[in-house]
Amino acid sequence: MKKTKPLIIFLLTVLLVLFLSLLVIGRFKITASDIGSMINALFSGKAVGEELISKQLVFWWIRLPRCIMAILVGMGLSVSGAVYQALFRNPLVSPDILGVAAGCTFGAALGLILPGNNFSLIHILSLGFGLLAVTMTVAIARLISVKSVIVLVLAGMVILSFFNALLMVLKYFSDPYDELPSIVFWIMGSLSRVNWNDILLIAPITGVGLIFFLLMRFRLNILSLGDIQSKSLGINPSMFRLIFIVASSFIVALTVATCGQICWIGLIIPHMARTLVGPDHKRMLPVTALLGAIFLLAADGVARSISSAEIPVGIVTALTGAPIFAFLLYKNRGSGWV
Amino acid sequence: MGVILKCRALGFKYGKTRILEDISFEVESGLFYAILGKNGSGKTTLLHCLNGILQPDCGNIEIGQQDITTMSRKQVAQQVSLVPQEHLDVFPFTVLDVVVMGRAPFLKMTQTPSDNDYRLAMEALKVLASENLANANFNRISGGERQIALLASALVQTSKIMLLDEPTNHLDFNNQYRLLSKIKELCRTRKTSVVATMHDPNMAMLYADCVIMIKNGRIVAAGHTEEIMTTTNINTLYETRSVEISTLGNKNFFLPESAVAGLKLKGKSC
Repeated sequence: MKKTKPLIIFLLTVLLVLFLSLLVIGRFKITASDIGSMINALFSGKAVGEELISKQLVFWWIRLPRCIMAILVGMGLSVSGAVYQALFRNPLVSPDILGVAAGCTFGAALGLILPGNNFSLIHILSLGFGLLAVTMTVAIARLISVKSVIVLVLAGMVILSFFNALLMVLKYFSDPYDELPSIVFWIMGSLSRVNWNDILLIAPITGVGLIFFLLMRFRLNILSLGDIQSKSLGINPSMFRLIFIVASSFIVALTVATCGQICWIGLIIPHMARTLVGPDHKRMLPVTALLGAIFLLAADGVARSISSAEIPVGIVTALTGAPIFAFLLYKNRGSGWV
Repeated sequence: MGVILKCRALGFKYGKTRILEDISFEVESGLFYAILGKNGSGKTTLLHCLNGILQPDCGNIEIGQQDITTMSRKQVAQQVSLVPQEHLDVFPFTVLDVVVMGRAPFLKMTQTPSDNDYRLAMEALKVLASENLANANFNRISGGERQIALLASALVQTSKIMLLDEPTNHLDFNNQYRLLSKIKELCRTRKTSVVATMHDPNMAMLYADCVIMIKNGRIVAAGHTEEIMTTTNINTLYETRSVEISTLGNKNFFLPESAVAGLKLKGKSC
């Protein structure tokens, strides 16, 4: 048994340092002493000085929520990815496998095209279609009801392709000067749209989901052995699979509905954690959550400070994720699971 | 020695195909039962019915006087363990990780295995003289070693009733006998009841106390090994003529006619 406590403390420290330094780093210069006086002002109730007003706005309403969101989304996506990989006993599975992300993206694109351009409508449609997509996948799998895992993946492919096709229809009929770019930008995930309302929505659900997964993490080990073994060890695999799928789909759908598609995190972070502490979910799941938070926080830091115009964080994660994944595949060769 | 597992008029079908019909037998504690039959005769299905992985469509099963349908999956798992025939590649767990999973039926919903559970897992590996495997990658050991690891996992789970699906499948010449001797020892020392499906009637001859012969989903003969293992029964079971060979004093072994025919073929010798 490898000891994971020192590693977890180390990762927590890294996360904290990164979080604090990203509050200071950015195109808009805010120093640590500025933040100090802002927090002072908040507690004492006094107004801040003239020169701090714009900084205060950026700090409280843009930068802080954004950093918190990066942590939440990073944890949510990476842990969901780990859960999906265990459920489908396949290390190449990521949370989009059952069509959640495709459904969400279609819903959001629909919201962007519908007249009114209402921001909460986009959210609602996106979340709704994301969950609808998973429900359809699970329903199809239930109808067929043989070889449950494989059928679930196949049904996921059907739904995923269907929603991608619908998305293409929307893109084709959308106005190429106004609506099409907004759909394309929306699809490239970004944390720039984050506000406190999103956090109030995502934090409790992601929080509850993460705690649930952490508590049930030994069950994931057993489910990853397959249905026959799970049953003979006294666990009902189809029931647990459904609960886990519903919970992680909710987390992923909420994320995609607010931030668009941020790829690779759900795929590579669990692999990184497995490389560090082995596949036992007892040790691997907490490490996955912390690594996911660190990775997305850092990627978002890069996305918003590397050039004068912000680039979508989805591009940063994809650009770094692909080579990291290749490296992990190379590093884990011969362990018998790729 | 009491009856610990009872199975009455059991029937099972996959869709419309009937796999098992009117299977009745009793398992006493501390005895080794071998289920013999041709490929596809329903041996594995029967084993999976016995611990509730599959639900029979008629008949009933009692585990220690209690009807299986009134027990939760967890309760069944605390009394019956299974070593499956095929095991799929999983994540690169260590052998100890796999063995400790046998403790699952004794853990609460949100519990993870404690130090004590790991100690029990280590002990099970020791019983099978394989503690050196503990930290090996489960995906990178030989088929025989995996079989040992899974047996250890079942042992950690419970040694009351153990169901083994072709336990010697991946083992070499010597290890087959070593494993079965070990299992037989458990029967005697821990009063474990073993129900094992087997391909080789001679293995059953050596280790089983009782034999259940299954053909097309029905029992054709069942009882004490010496009484049941006759050429007539073997001939009906495998639909071939066979030859009985007496050796080792009181033990008889069997060879199918095709093997004897093979011996008679003339050709160059090495």
